[in-house]
Amino acid sequence: MTTGAGRNPPRRGVFPPLPDDLEHRLGLPMAEDNPLGFTAVLAADELAEVLEAGERVLDDYGLNAEFVPAGHGGRLSGLDRMVYVLRTACRRDPVLGLGYGMSSLMAAVNVWTSGSRRQQERVAELLLGNRKLACAFHELEHGNDLARAEFVATPSGAPGADSFVLSGRKQVIGNVERADAIVLFARTGQGPGSRSHSLLLLDMATLPRDGYRYLPRFHTSGLRGMALGGIEFLNCPVPASSVVGVEGHALETALRAFQITKVALPGSSAGILDTALRTAVRFTLGRRLYGRKVADLPYPRGILGDAFADLLVSDCFAMSVTRALHVLPGEGSTPTAAVKLLVPTVLVEATKRLSALLGAQFYLRSGEYSMMQKLVRDSQPSAFVHASRSACRMSILPQLPLLARRGWSSGVPAPAQVFRPGGSLPPLRFEELSLSSRGQDHLGASLLALAGKLPGGSAAHREVQSLVDLFAGEWSRLSEACSGLPPRELTVTASPLSYRLADRYALLLAAGCCVGVWLESQDGADPFLRHPSWLIAVLTRLAARLGRPRQAIPDHVQSHLFGELLRRYHDSRAFDLSGQQLMEWHP
Amino acid sequence: MAELDRLMDAAACHGGPFSPSYSARLDRTEEFPAEAVRVLDEFGVHRYFVPARFGGRQAELPEVVDLLRAVARRDLTVAIAYGKTFLGVTPVWAGGTSEQSAWLARQVLENAMVTWALTERGHGADLMSGEVGATRTADGWQLDGAKWLINNATRAPLVLLLARTDAGGGPRGFSLFLVDKRSLEPGSYTCLPKEPLHGIRGADISGIDFHEAKLPADAVVNAAGTGFEIVLKSLQVTRTVCTALSLGAADHALRLAADFTQGRMVYGRRLSELPGVRWVLGEAIAGALLAEVVTVVATRSIHTLTGEMSVISAIVKALVPELVEDLITAVGELLGARGQLIDEYADGLFQKLDRDHRIVAIFDGSTTVNRNALINQFPVLDRRYRKGGYDEPGLNRAADLTGSLPELDTSALTLLSKAGCSVVQSVPKAVAEIRRLGAQEAAPDSVVRQAREFGEAVDGVLAELAEHRPERHDVPAGAFALAQRYEACFAGAACLRLWLHNVGVATDRATLWRDATWLSGCLARVLALLGAGQEADAARAYESLAEVLLATEGGAVPSILTDVPTAEPRVRA
Repeated sequence: MTTGAGRNPPRRGVFPPLPDDLEHRLGLPMAEDNPLGFTAVLAADELAEVLEAGERVLDDYGLNAEFVPAGHGGRLSGLDRMVYVLRTACRRDPVLGLGYGMSSLMAAVNVWTSGSRRQQERVAELLLGNRKLACAFHELEHGNDLARAEFVATPSGAPGADSFVLSGRKQVIGNVERADAIVLFARTGQGPGSRSHSLLLLDMATLPRDGYRYLPRFHTSGLRGMALGGIEFLNCPVPASSVVGVEGHALETALRAFQITKVALPGSSAGILDTALRTAVRFTLGRRLYGRKVADLPYPRGILGDAFADLLVSDCFAMSVTRALHVLPGEGSTPTAAVKLLVPTVLVEATKRLSALLGAQFYLRSGEYSMMQKLVRDSQPSAFVHASRSACRMSILPQLPLLARRGWSSGVPAPAQVFRPGGSLPPLRFEELSLSSRGQDHLGASLLALAGKLPGGSAAHREVQSLVDLFAGEWSRLSEACSGLPPRELTVTASPLSYRLADRYALLLAAGCCVGVWLESQDGADPFLRHPSWLIAVLTRLAARLGRPRQAIPDHVQSHLFGELLRRYHDSRAFDLSGQQLMEWHP
Repeated sequence: MAELDRLMDAAACHGGPFSPSYSARLDRTEEFPAEAVRVLDEFGVHRYFVPARFGGRQAELPEVVDLLRAVARRDLTVAIAYGKTFLGVTPVWAGGTSEQSAWLARQVLENAMVTWALTERGHGADLMSGEVGATRTADGWQLDGAKWLINNATRAPLVLLLARTDAGGGPRGFSLFLVDKRSLEPGSYTCLPKEPLHGIRGADISGIDFHEAKLPADAVVNAAGTGFEIVLKSLQVTRTVCTALSLGAADHALRLAADFTQGRMVYGRRLSELPGVRWVLGEAIAGALLAEVVTVVATRSIHTLTGEMSVISAIVKALVPELVEDLITAVGELLGARGQLIDEYADGLFQKLDRDHRIVAIFDGSTTVNRNALINQFPVLDRRYRKGGYDEPGLNRAADLTGSLPELDTSALTLLSKAGCSVVQSVPKAVAEIRRLGAQEAAPDSVVRQAREFGEAVDGVLAELAEHRPERHDVPAGAFALAQRYEACFAGAACLRLWLHNVGVATDRATLWRDATWLSGCLARVLALLGAGQEADAARAYESLAEVLLATEGGAVPSILTDVPTAEPRVRA
């Protein structure tokens, strides 16, 4: 990376900057004539088109290689790195960041998890050749309820024929018309249960032309430029070798594989909040109210500080959980659902509060701050696409009693490397991703285990301790409530009070990850991350979600946080844990 | 009301101007809803913008709220485009001479649109920095400068405008002018282009730029230098009435939620049968009813607690849009992908109302501006609460839905409430009353418990208020959080009052009133805002409310107003 490195040496080597850094390729965001700048991004949004120049840059960069494991010739060695790369694109344009590759990633993880060697090679070949994949699960009538999906693949009756016949529709599918291959979720059995569906990897070029047709595009309010389409199969024959993994195991494969994307999506979307925050800071520095700069008024500063803390919470949580998938692959089912449950909500709310700070300027689709209305719209889908909050609660709830009885009180925290963003990781073992963590949750055990090992000393450290003790108390209460849950309270008809235990779990898990990241930063180079201030801030923000009387971030913490926020703004550095150098915002 | 509803229903058929497909199309093409406005003109909604004493039909402001809400429920853009005239005329009723008022009343009754032009580029909410200036000439005034982001600035022939009349500015440095664009010299003004917006895309949000425009001497409302004060007092009325827009949006969102969850099958059941979903629905209705109660009590208070409106209007304008934004977010999550799709489900009206509604928290004083206004009055609120006592007759009339209201006496509006806030100051007494009813088994135990918890929470908030030290410039961030909690206190208190005054007359079929269902749900919502209360009480209350919503038919949503025999509005001296 070349930008500004002379003036502001990176404080922290989260990820070694690459020579062909994506951020650099995207150019100056505020430059009017940059075909990848905000002006171009907004123009594409108005036309509900994807930013073509942006897609070309991602092609040149070879973004898809981030989705392909090193063993297949790609660059996927750590999921956290992949998320950072996607976040870089999301900071510039969420449609680009999510629309270019998320469909390919969602399709590919299923193949890495359960596909044959041949299928994996084919997918790697397509991705590394800059082709797109689509992931066709969704049917408008059934949404997140995959087990009810109606699309059928029937074994062809012809004697000796080793094939299926497809018929049905898949709707609201990203990139479906642009995809060379589609991973399709289809009913292959009659039963109502979880073993009646199979995944099929379809090479579109090999299918008969009259076997399918594309449906009209779906238009959305958020992520307007996203190419969302549909496909209808009309008695289309496909070879039986299309099945990914074991026939009838689609639901299982998807629930395992999507653990990756359930974190990758919110983790990448954190880039939306980064740009919203930068836009808001810019506004408060440029605007005067009542004879003063808005950025000098305590209330706007409070909102900015809160959003900064919210971004750090999101990053700590998403980063730790992606890293935990490498280190503790069998324990990912509940933490990944917890990230998808909590982080999008945090991001959406924070983006919305920032937009309110802009007053009428937020409402304009023209002018200097018009990215804000787009970011507000674009942030919203992350809360329900891929897995709704209720679907996430349903993945967590049934496991809570066993986790409470076995996992959380083990006293053994997750290995330290989980909490060190950018540090080395063992390769991801897709085959070990598991539907259930069988009562093991080292990430969950971390907060209680670390609560007694916090450094003492200053008044700030004592504040940390008392917040951590508060969360530890909440863990004990959660544990108690969960261990006593009767089986009928673990199903979709569970009472709302039981459902809400899943929300609490997500909050406490996030708190534990923040504590872990802070502790592991103590020997790091970044004085901001070493300091207790940000931890006090993020824990205060999380505590406010526990249903207690809302406490504001303490003044001394707020001013420390705000100082860092302004420094990063002026130095054009990311607001997330990486603090990485970005292209200049103020040409 | 029934007649207006009939007209709008008729105009909703066959792709008419109030049909969902029509609304969706105008949103897409960003066209002004002129045909819908004609339907409202035909009914004569504008007659309710003119007080009876000037020949209009406005007897009580709650009527205006009902009308705007009924329109907003169908299309928020139309309500905002049409309702702007109410904002444009109210300051003249409050501050104009009788000749000015009579003239303006005739104009409005003849269907002339009036706009209220306060904001300018670069200053927004900071009206005192306004640069549009009027200077005296031999026979009147000369006006220069541009007002920007003004609803109907291009379409309205009449502009009520705030201009600097003293170069030094200050509270006495501004005046209101009633400008008739039709009688200005050609070339002395230009309308600025309509701005592309996030929501209310069809509305005419534009601006007007004056170049040495000559105004007659009598264009100044009241007297030179009174503009700022008239604006601040009028805003107390308009901010309160504006929340009707939020109520309409809430009605619309809840209807979409009820229809969707009843039609959608998941896991082999209707979505509406899942307890987790019912909590979300119940909580959303509780939010909507709370918004309704706050608006109803606040709007009635304009007539009966007029001197306290500086507090009440700030509370209602900050709180109600926020409550409704929260419920829109919750409904959006229930709808999932369907809420985002523009032409796939319900004509994409959910995503439209979501975008449209966000303007309510911005215009006519943003949430921040209103919280600031409330914070400025913390000292008197603290003092009055500690002292105890409140305007009992005024509060009783505000809360008793069966009684009619006195005519609004605009001269009783004050910049700062001297009496504090009667609604909040009445909490200890209201809680005691609920306990007494509980002892007689006339109020359910859970409500008695919630009321007690609420009373304690209010004491807690007021104790914090007592600790607050006023700062002229650097209002601490914590004060805003405290203001938010004070608003919740007001909301809970309004619920207790409304319930106590009307439970006796609610009809038997009133499911919302039976077992204090709505009160319990609203208190649960308030307690959650205050970080108090028990989840089990909330769960029970929300479940009952969800039940009521799902049983409400005919495109309606539950309202506490449905089952109380309210008095016919009439003007009383």
